[in-house]
Amino acid sequence: MSNETKTKEKVDMDPKYILKLTLTLLVTCVIVAGVLGFVNSITKDKIEAFNLEKTNTALSNVYQQASAPQFEETDVTDAMTAAASSYSATLKNVYKVTDGGSDAGYAVKIVAAGSQGDIEMVVGVDTDGAVTGVSIVKNSETSGIGSKVMGNLPLANGTPVLDQFIGKTTSDQPLKVGSNVDAISGATVSSKGVTKGVNGALAVVAAIG
Amino acid sequence: MNFGKQFKEGLITNNPVLVQLLGMCSTMAITTSFFNGLGMGVAVLIILTLSNIIIAAIRKIVPDKIRIAMFIVVIACFVTCVDLLLQAFVPALSASLGVFLPLIVVNCIILGRAEAFSYKNGIAASAVDGICQGFGYTVVLLIMCVIRELLGTGTFGGGILNGGDGIRLIPEQFGIKILTLPVGGFLCLACLIAAMQWALARPQKKEESK
Repeated sequence: MSNETKTKEKVDMDPKYILKLTLTLLVTCVIVAGVLGFVNSITKDKIEAFNLEKTNTALSNVYQQASAPQFEETDVTDAMTAAASSYSATLKNVYKVTDGGSDAGYAVKIVAAGSQGDIEMVVGVDTDGAVTGVSIVKNSETSGIGSKVMGNLPLANGTPVLDQFIGKTTSDQPLKVGSNVDAISGATVSSKGVTKGVNGALAVVAAIG
Repeated sequence: MNFGKQFKEGLITNNPVLVQLLGMCSTMAITTSFFNGLGMGVAVLIILTLSNIIIAAIRKIVPDKIRIAMFIVVIACFVTCVDLLLQAFVPALSASLGVFLPLIVVNCIILGRAEAFSYKNGIAASAVDGICQGFGYTVVLLIMCVIRELLGTGTFGGGILNGGDGIRLIPEQFGIKILTLPVGGFLCLACLIAAMQWALARPQKKEESK
């Protein structure tokens, strides 16, 4: 035997001891998995229902002028994903919107980076390619700063910050904070995040054709 | 078991944040509104107490070599349970705590107390230790929240009182914005630690000067 095998660790590695360690960990993990499975089973439906409700609220928020909008999820193509990522946003879902049977455009669920993490938002685009509204689904922006953008608080000129995107089309692109988009003072990065999402959504709808 | 002594230790002489300097990341990150601080504090208190109890209960059958792995599994189990329950029943809190809730798994306070206290003490004493240390953590979070919220945004009780907006005590334009940013968290925590060390050192100095 070489000298290396006589190190201290090797001496402790009695097969019975190793088996004891492994079994203890295994039993613990099985118990823990059982507990987690149980908690998951009682919370799963509630969490799913809550997430669905949030998405639905956001969807109807961006189509306030429609009387009874219906949302139908459509397939995301590579062209749409590429269109979103050209504005450094990540496409999640695309919904085809109909209002009373007639075509009313698309709603795009899209994610863009804010100052503290990802901002998940829904952007509505009508049949003319103009933004109908922006609604935030999920965010982790700083309370009191970026949260002002998320909460659609008014800009210095009185327009709520998310409502300034309404009516913007691909011909206004690229939308940019400082030129054709106003930011809430102190929350430039959060405003830029939302702008990225809107840019991406417009490009996605343009890619649908 | 001495509840009074353990309580004093958790709150003052051996406060997890201000004296042991544990769990500082979450302390600085989430203390921007009263609701966040309270929610995080209570979440940690519950997880700390439960994991202390379980670790004290299994301490005699756990082989020494894999104790850290066992601690982490037990803690992770409770954290995931609390995370799922909050997502299901208090979604607003879950959304505002964000990633810091699952990160309680690696919060040094819980692992630190497991190693330093509950692995060496009985179930009842460990439960009391969990409650006292968790309470100490919560109090520090709330102090941080009140200072940062009041001076940073000018409100008190954000997220709970006055429909979630908090009660405005200082006009908004006088808010010191930097305090709501992470750097403000560092500054605020540093001042609190300094004040605590000063307060703890005072009786000693008096004796020395005699």
